[in-house]
Amino acid sequence: MSHQMDARPPDWPLRLLRFFVKEEYLEEIEGDMEEIFLTNVEQLSLAKARRIYTWDMLKLLRPTLIKHFKTIPTFNQFAMYKNYFKIAWRNLVKKKAYSFINIFGLGLGIACCILIFMFVQDELSYDNYHTKGERIFRVIHGESVPGKPEQSSGSAPFWVWGNAPIGPALKSDFPEIEKVVQFSGRSDILLTYGEKVYQEDGVFFMDSTAFDVFSWKLLKGNPKTALAAPYNIVLTESTAKKYFGDEDPIGKVLKGSESPGRSNRGDYTVTGIVADIPLNSHFRFNALLSLSTFRNSIPEIFGEWGYVDFYTYFLVGEQFDEAAFKKKIPDFLSRHKAWPDSRYFIEIEPLKDVYLRTKAERQPGETGSLPNIYVFSIIGLFILVIAMINFMNLSTARSMERGKEVGIRKSVGAYRSSLVSQFLGESVMIVLLSGLIAVILVMIALPNMGALTGKEFNIERFITWQTISLFVAMMLFVGLAAGSYPALVLSGFNPIMIMKGMVRSSAGGINLRRALVVFQFTLSIALIAGTIIVYFQMNHVLDKDLGFDKEQMLVLDYNYDDDVNKKSEVLKDILENNPSVLSVGFSRSVPGSYYPHAGTELETPKGDMEMMGQPIFQVGMDFVSHFNLKLIAGRSYSREHPTDSSQAIIINEAAARQYGYSNPAEAVGKKFAQWGRSGIVIGVVKDFNFASLHRNIEPLTMPLVPYACRYMSLKVKTDNIQETIKKVGEVWKEIAPHRPFLYSFLDDDFNKQYQSDVMFKRLFTTFSGLAIFIACLGLLGLATYTAEQRTKEIGIRKVLGADVRNIVGLLSKDFILLVIISIFIATPLSWYAMHRWLEGFAYRMEISPWVFVLAGFIALSVAVLTISYQAIKSAVMNPVKSLRSE
Amino acid sequence: MKKTKLGEFEELVLLTVAALQADAYGVEIKRELESRIKEKLSVGSIQSALKRMEEKGFLTSEFGETTLKRGGKRKRIYTTTSYAHKVLAEMKDIRAGLWEAIPKLTPQLKVI
Repeated sequence: MSHQMDARPPDWPLRLLRFFVKEEYLEEIEGDMEEIFLTNVEQLSLAKARRIYTWDMLKLLRPTLIKHFKTIPTFNQFAMYKNYFKIAWRNLVKKKAYSFINIFGLGLGIACCILIFMFVQDELSYDNYHTKGERIFRVIHGESVPGKPEQSSGSAPFWVWGNAPIGPALKSDFPEIEKVVQFSGRSDILLTYGEKVYQEDGVFFMDSTAFDVFSWKLLKGNPKTALAAPYNIVLTESTAKKYFGDEDPIGKVLKGSESPGRSNRGDYTVTGIVADIPLNSHFRFNALLSLSTFRNSIPEIFGEWGYVDFYTYFLVGEQFDEAAFKKKIPDFLSRHKAWPDSRYFIEIEPLKDVYLRTKAERQPGETGSLPNIYVFSIIGLFILVIAMINFMNLSTARSMERGKEVGIRKSVGAYRSSLVSQFLGESVMIVLLSGLIAVILVMIALPNMGALTGKEFNIERFITWQTISLFVAMMLFVGLAAGSYPALVLSGFNPIMIMKGMVRSSAGGINLRRALVVFQFTLSIALIAGTIIVYFQMNHVLDKDLGFDKEQMLVLDYNYDDDVNKKSEVLKDILENNPSVLSVGFSRSVPGSYYPHAGTELETPKGDMEMMGQPIFQVGMDFVSHFNLKLIAGRSYSREHPTDSSQAIIINEAAARQYGYSNPAEAVGKKFAQWGRSGIVIGVVKDFNFASLHRNIEPLTMPLVPYACRYMSLKVKTDNIQETIKKVGEVWKEIAPHRPFLYSFLDDDFNKQYQSDVMFKRLFTTFSGLAIFIACLGLLGLATYTAEQRTKEIGIRKVLGADVRNIVGLLSKDFILLVIISIFIATPLSWYAMHRWLEGFAYRMEISPWVFVLAGFIALSVAVLTISYQAIKSAVMNPVKSLRSE
Repeated sequence: MKKTKLGEFEELVLLTVAALQADAYGVEIKRELESRIKEKLSVGSIQSALKRMEEKGFLTSEFGETTLKRGGKRKRIYTTTSYAHKVLAEMKDIRAGLWEAIPKLTPQLKVI
């Protein structure tokens, strides 16, 4: 029996049979064949049975039994296709200008679309490379609603940056959390190896569990122990190269400076080399120091719930239920809260949301902007639509010329379906040609995209079968969509009517074309208006008087170095002797950089002390005058009051308001307590924009810390700045030879906050410009076509005495009307969209109606220029020529 | 006679179907005919004869039951039509008439 079970007939003859023989016979014949085979297996050998089976199968392929395969006279069809190609090609070549506008315009549109697609893809790809990414979450710290400790409050912003004890507490309370990784805020450290000294500003103190959670590629070293012991350092590949060249860095020792508030100075041993962190990471670094270094230097911080300097990420098990976990948070917090009445609250955020959808501030790195992605996707779509409309318009317009061809084809027996496929095929062909041009344009543009977006694009990442099939599908779609109108309309013509010349151009076609032009110009005008608003808003932001001097301010970063701080007075004296240096000041922050937050108790008008939080800007002695801040009440810090550095504070107007003083002068002389010092408010400065103009001016306190600063800023004369810098550098070498001379200009630094806005402006301007260009190409094509259509009419008009002006007016009138209609449609649309965009700025320009007038005017004049080129050309033509030709 | 166009092999198959009655399906017809003419036949030849004759109206067919050996595929049972019987009878008569016409003197002579 088992023998029989094994006895299977060979497979392929059956497949052959199924392919050739009529389906209705299959069941019977297969059954017969199998029965005979099995009988043969019983009586003869298996091999023989199979041979008979195969042979019989072959003999079954007889005319009576096989399917009726359609016999296709292929040669005939082939000739037809050849003819289609030939006609398509002749049509392209015959009107080179149209063909160029069609193909190049569409190619340009597709290229823009591809570039935008790449940009969006890149933004969406952030942190995708973490293989455990789905299971990584992070803690964000915020406040609960007063009186409801189980509900997070929406009012105070969440911070990613928080305390240390939350990490171990989470790990011990929740078995579903597998690993917790914590790291410090972004640190700066001076690393020395022999002659090589660099200030590394992308450094984190990182937990030893980092490599269990994040998928950074550790090229050398043991992932378990690399960040375990104090004074271990893991470098990225390029950082290692910078210090050690081709030497093996493992085990080498780098002398590290103190990292204020985090670690003492010490010798770091290189224990690992990690591949450079991918560009699409929400935070990147040059080196990692072991968190135990931090813990050894300042252990008490790690038990302090109120001390903020840590990011906490964690890896959860496969079965993690986010919603259930969130429900457990209030209980967890009440178990651990250091102060029972505090409103401390946490939420968690999955890793996939941290780049684009985070609601927290104080990020470890950059974040992207989801609205920007939407804006650019929409612009990309607009551009594609505009280019497609061009294509459709020109094809419909020109299709009328091919009416005769359609008539003849129909009279000699072409089916409607074959005409449809001819025209669709033709348009797909042209689109594919445009696609080719688009790819070439993308290749050319890609190196410049880096400058435009501040990102580097790696083309290889985009060459995957998904993107390629998407691209091809898009091409087909564009081709079919753009070709559908001419294909369907032309093929429906009655051949007799066409041959008699009865069908000139259908009203439907003209109206469709008009509607499309309006649509196109609406989009273009909206983009122009948007560009104008973005442009003026960015200028508004960059030129606004911030309330302090940011021009000609040279900033030296010495990273809290004690030796420099001790010599600060000497430095100041020497440097101020230089006639090019107007004044010198010291501070712990500079406008636009980072501010810690502090809780400050201050006497309110009622006389009681109230605790409120605000940013804190710690400054040196002459800071107020140095930065040209306006003192509106009280006095500034002074060397004549030695107690200023412990018992005095200057606040800004907003802070005075925060504590309830409508007249800032009343705040002067009130008591305060902050960070272990207490005394009185000695002065109030006018509000100045110490942070980006996306935000309103926050309350600010400015305590005096003369010998614990980080930055030295020098106001210098404009002339001969290079010379001044050189002189300052020489002084620096003399006084602080152990610190590198790191300088920058305050306005540059401050404007770095607007990097993403500037990028937005640049991208927006570029792509809008392109969109408008493409729309005008289309208009040019249409105008040319119309003029050509009316050659005879123009000729007759001229003969009868029309002058050039009349003719130009005649030809332009229609289009200009369309553009004006577009202006009216576009204005409210773009007003609404740009209003939404401006809401992201605390300081915004007013959208004046002139913006739209200007946008309309620009669109109109571009359109008029485009059209009149052709209109004038036709108008000055000799009428004899146009009338004689037939 | 003119329109019938029944070939020699077809006639044999048709007779076999008539003889087998309810058992008349592909394999059985083949087996029966093979045993009678003592010659191996291919499935293809039987099948094409059956299909041709069905088209000409000598046979009708319908699906029968299946057996274990057929892998779940049903048999197709063929039945002769009355028209077939008429044609077969005619053929037989023609042949018989011709036999009658052969002179009895040469019984050893082979008739082709």
